[in-house]
Amino acid sequence: MRFLRILSLALVLLGVPKVLSAQDRFVFVPQWTAQAQFAGYYAALEQGFYQEEGLDVTILHPRSSQTPDSYILGGRCDATTLPLMQALELIDHGAQFVNILQTSMNSGTIIISRLGKDPREQHGARIGIWRAGHGQLARCFSYQERLDYNWVPLATSVNLFIAGAIDATVAMSYNEYFHLLQAGVTIGEESVLRFEDMMGYNIQEEGVYMTLAGYRRNPARAERFARASRRGWEWVAEHPDEALDIVMRYVEDGHVATNRVMQKMMLAEVLRLQLDSASGEREFRLRPDMVEQASRLMQGSGLIRRSVQFNSLMPR
Amino acid sequence: MKALYDKIRSSLSARLSIWVVSFTALIFLAALGYMFIESRQAVRREAMRRAGQVLDNTVLRVNGILDDVTIAADNLDWLVYRNMDNSEAMFDLTRNLLLNNPDVSGCSISFEPDFFKERGQYFSAYAYRKDGSVLTEQEGSDRYQYFYMDWYLLPKLLNQPCWTEPYLDIDVEQDWSGLVTSYCKPLTTLDGTYAGSLSVDVSLSWLSEMISKVKPYENSYSVMIGRGGAYLVHPDTTKLLRQTIFTETLESPKPEISELGHAMLRGESGMRQIRIDGKDNYVFFEPVTETGWSVAIVCPERDIFGSFNRLRRIILGIVVAGLLLMFFFCFRVVSHGLDPLRRLVRQTHLISTGRFDESLPATTRMDEIGQLTRSFGEMQTSLVSYIAELTASTANRERIQGELRIAREIQMAMVPRVFPPFPERHDLDLYAAMTPAKEVGGDLYDYFLLNEKLYFCIGDVSGKGIPGSLLMAVSRNLFRVVARPGITPARIARQINETVSAENEQMMFMTMFIGRIDLKTGRMDYCNCGHNPPVLIEDGKPRFLDLKPNTPLGVCEDWVFEDEHIADVRGLPMLFYTDGLNEAENLTHAQFGNDRLLEVLGQSPFVSAQETVERLVHAVTAFVDGAEASDDLTLLCIKIKPL
Repeated sequence: MRFLRILSLALVLLGVPKVLSAQDRFVFVPQWTAQAQFAGYYAALEQGFYQEEGLDVTILHPRSSQTPDSYILGGRCDATTLPLMQALELIDHGAQFVNILQTSMNSGTIIISRLGKDPREQHGARIGIWRAGHGQLARCFSYQERLDYNWVPLATSVNLFIAGAIDATVAMSYNEYFHLLQAGVTIGEESVLRFEDMMGYNIQEEGVYMTLAGYRRNPARAERFARASRRGWEWVAEHPDEALDIVMRYVEDGHVATNRVMQKMMLAEVLRLQLDSASGEREFRLRPDMVEQASRLMQGSGLIRRSVQFNSLMPR
Repeated sequence: MKALYDKIRSSLSARLSIWVVSFTALIFLAALGYMFIESRQAVRREAMRRAGQVLDNTVLRVNGILDDVTIAADNLDWLVYRNMDNSEAMFDLTRNLLLNNPDVSGCSISFEPDFFKERGQYFSAYAYRKDGSVLTEQEGSDRYQYFYMDWYLLPKLLNQPCWTEPYLDIDVEQDWSGLVTSYCKPLTTLDGTYAGSLSVDVSLSWLSEMISKVKPYENSYSVMIGRGGAYLVHPDTTKLLRQTIFTETLESPKPEISELGHAMLRGESGMRQIRIDGKDNYVFFEPVTETGWSVAIVCPERDIFGSFNRLRRIILGIVVAGLLLMFFFCFRVVSHGLDPLRRLVRQTHLISTGRFDESLPATTRMDEIGQLTRSFGEMQTSLVSYIAELTASTANRERIQGELRIAREIQMAMVPRVFPPFPERHDLDLYAAMTPAKEVGGDLYDYFLLNEKLYFCIGDVSGKGIPGSLLMAVSRNLFRVVARPGITPARIARQINETVSAENEQMMFMTMFIGRIDLKTGRMDYCNCGHNPPVLIEDGKPRFLDLKPNTPLGVCEDWVFEDEHIADVRGLPMLFYTDGLNEAENLTHAQFGNDRLLEVLGQSPFVSAQETVERLVHAVTAFVDGAEASDDLTLLCIKIKPL
């Protein structure tokens, strides 16, 4: 069937559930297919950190034709990863989420121009953007800076950019950016807009979210998952090569069209984005100022109708 | 190493052979080098031609099949426009396309959201093959929002037909996966609104299989990359769609790979020499037109140049062996040719040690070596003869030298050499010295006492050596015989002159000063026969005595010699000498001279006859400073002391 025609991102289930009767079953859905972006969770599972917390964790990757949030909203998993702004958007749409672990401390979102221009000067340009969320920051930027980008939602891949069908694309510094380099695209720094470096736009992204109801059913269980996941990331930071081996096993099992070089570069960038710009430490916390700034930007850009408070995202 | 160098230096055969072989090797090197370069270029051109042909054929076949797909899509195009108001007809169109085109694996006509109001948001008429049948379905849904897919967006955004980047199609139900690409066309309504995209899918399994079989050389292989550099065909299937040609350049720069990748992506054709996994390879590449893909054939250099390299090794081996053989034969021939010369060297070495009787090697050769041998033979004969003569003349000379030595002793014995000559006479201070210029000289002096009178003479014979010494001996004897009481110096001179002049065929002559001093009165009678004037030292001041020169003895038989006299010479030191004194020459041929004679005599007061003579001899010796004496030197100093 043609819906399976998904650019080699086909298989869904990864990770072998460790069925232990005495342990709580916990289903975790990262927001994308297997890659180094989720190395900390793979490591926590492989190193037995979840098991030590009494959790029987299953990691389930979504299909590219499905939005990841559909899993948690549909009650098919216990926790998922979401960028902060996407979480705010879902909350604005009525969902109730709590952040049980924040991994990203900086924005990895970038805009890459195909025409060798500064994206800030490409008024009205045709810009590729993911159809399934994660593009809120770029949309806010376009609105706030009056750039009136002509957004082209797309499912995945950088093929439209390479084929010259779009003028620029929203990308992640740890993913699509490296894909374009690997495709032989020469990207000058003047063609890259990094929100991380822009005053007022450095909004932390990936965190682990649960529905409020799911959290309240067993807060201790959620905290154990968060604690073990954090240990997993800390272990990855200390053992990047071994972590890469684990990532590649997941990549192979998932038949993901990638390679070790790309995953190595991704892991290094993801770990870099986990360091707080002020302290230089891996803090694993949601910053109230960033939540406030994200809420203000989104509300000001019409992406959400009401502001979302930092406290409303916190379990307690 | 030094020993080898020394051995080569000392061997003409080795040096000559090395020169010949080196020069020959140089010529071979130039000729073979040129041949190898040209041959290599030819092999390279042939490889390029061959690979180019293979690539052309491959691309032609690929284009042929892809053209079928584009034609099928183009033929469907107008039917879609014709049925734009009938969504159901779209299923028939897609089904028919598959039925009429066995190479096509799927076809869809997909429309913009809500294009057909009755169909809702999604409408995509899709036909596909399953178990040998062609099935159709409407595939758009909330789970498969096709209008975000590349195959839908590309023709829409580019507003022109295009090929998608190949992707892996996976059919879970049939457990099948394969590389698929789609030819897509934009569909617009009559008013220009975008209606949807037409997509015709074609499996690339045949393409992978066909390109993989392209092997112009045993170890060559083919690759194909897509528009984004991803490997679509590669012998290492783990790289398919997972790596691009640039992946390995991300961690460590590989400019030649990057340059190749960019050239392929630009749609260029060409060839690059690239090192892959430590081995040199030639990569020939050519674009698959319109798709943006590029096919490359990687040919290991050792495959392309394998036969050439083998031939080169064989030729080089033959040349090296030939040069070594040439060196060996050259060395042998030259060495054999130089054998007589080597024997000649040995023999001449023996001859040089004094073994003149050693015979030289016999030769009949007419070349330079033969001539050299004969010349050496003649030289040896001459040398032997010369040495024999030299030996005889040396023996003769030694004999004459011995005789001369005896003659000198006899001559010196003829003149009085005991001083003081008259120890009992305290009124007479007399000293004499004679130094012949050769073994025997022509000077003479003599003196004796007779009846209280001192007879003395000093003379110089013309010519030195034996003739002079013989005349000197004769004259001295004549002086002794003729000098008798009552005979004046002039008569003595006349008689000696007559005797010497008679039968003087040799025309020899002699100067002589003859004197007679009466020791009682101090009167001195004298006759000068052409001799140097004596020096008188009066009151410490030396002066030459004025006298008649007369003529030397032996010149004129009838010459009348006359006496002269000084009344009293007592207390006056007198010096008699031969011209060996005042005409003594130094190295610059300057003469001692009369002035210097007087100067030396006047330097200090008279002490004794012996001191005066020795002072003069010393002064002359110092003056000549090692120059060979040209004349005999005789000095006679007399002082009559008043009692």
